[in-house]
Amino acid sequence: MAHIHLPDGSFTLFWVAVWWICALALVGLALLWARRGKIDRRRITVAAFVATAAFAVFQVQVPLFGGVHLNLTPLVGILAGPLLGSLIVLVVNILSAAIGHGGWGLIGANVLVNFSEVLTAWLLWRGMGRVVPGLFPRAGIATFGGLFVGNLAMVGIILVSGIQGVTQSSSQILFGLSLLVAVNLGAAVLEAFITGFIIVYIGRLRPDLLEGRRP
Amino acid sequence: MTPPLEKRGLLIFLLIIVIIAIVALAANRITGPLGIEERFSRAVGLPAPAEETGNGVFGFSVEGNPAAYGAVLGVLILLCLFLLRWRRKGNG
Repeated sequence: MAHIHLPDGSFTLFWVAVWWICALALVGLALLWARRGKIDRRRITVAAFVATAAFAVFQVQVPLFGGVHLNLTPLVGILAGPLLGSLIVLVVNILSAAIGHGGWGLIGANVLVNFSEVLTAWLLWRGMGRVVPGLFPRAGIATFGGLFVGNLAMVGIILVSGIQGVTQSSSQILFGLSLLVAVNLGAAVLEAFITGFIIVYIGRLRPDLLEGRRP
Repeated sequence: MTPPLEKRGLLIFLLIIVIIAIVALAANRITGPLGIEERFSRAVGLPAPAEETGNGVFGFSVEGNPAAYGAVLGVLILLCLFLLRWRRKGNG
């Protein structure tokens, strides 16, 4: 799903630094905010479980449209919220780069992309409680929304940063990325079903995990 | 007649799926079946990366080093088990 799959050196050092600083500032602010509220043992444990699930799924290339991978970032948003979610996406991206999936220089940009998915999914999940009471469609729509915004963030970051060593114009890059986003959103169908089924399962076994109000 | 809220949510969800599936299939027809990195490189005009030797099963494969993936995943699972015990101690 939305994840910038470009090698190190694609962005200039300036933009690598800009996105890294933005990502670290975001995670720092989220953690400061999180310290204000009480983060109990249950939330930390749930965050660890969704981080592990996200890391496990993130690295697996699924044979759909020639190859895509799922993120589970909307699930992270729904279960862990955006504050702990920001830390989760940072950890998952660092561990992914450590095993050779994604460049180190792109971690900052990818954290911002993934965080936009976490935040949007969480907002939609919370906001649609009364409009769409069913857990499955609510989780599915939140997943689509999160992944759509994540793809927009990904395109925006690439267009703003520019790619070193290419002769294509911005409009050509935008066209190429639009096709990529369309294919990515096809993979979002699979992710929406998986997230929906997981949320329904959790809703039956542990509905208390879905009731939290705090971000 | 307005369908109940639950059915309406499901209808919206299914409608989104149909629209996205059509768009995705059309885009896939234009680009052709490409791997993740190849599709990305072509989209921005970079040369396609060298094709990786497959470590996959039934088309599923691990991005990055599979041994490192297994090791990191193992550590994360152990951490989860530790946190689960820690949480239960906190409850008890």
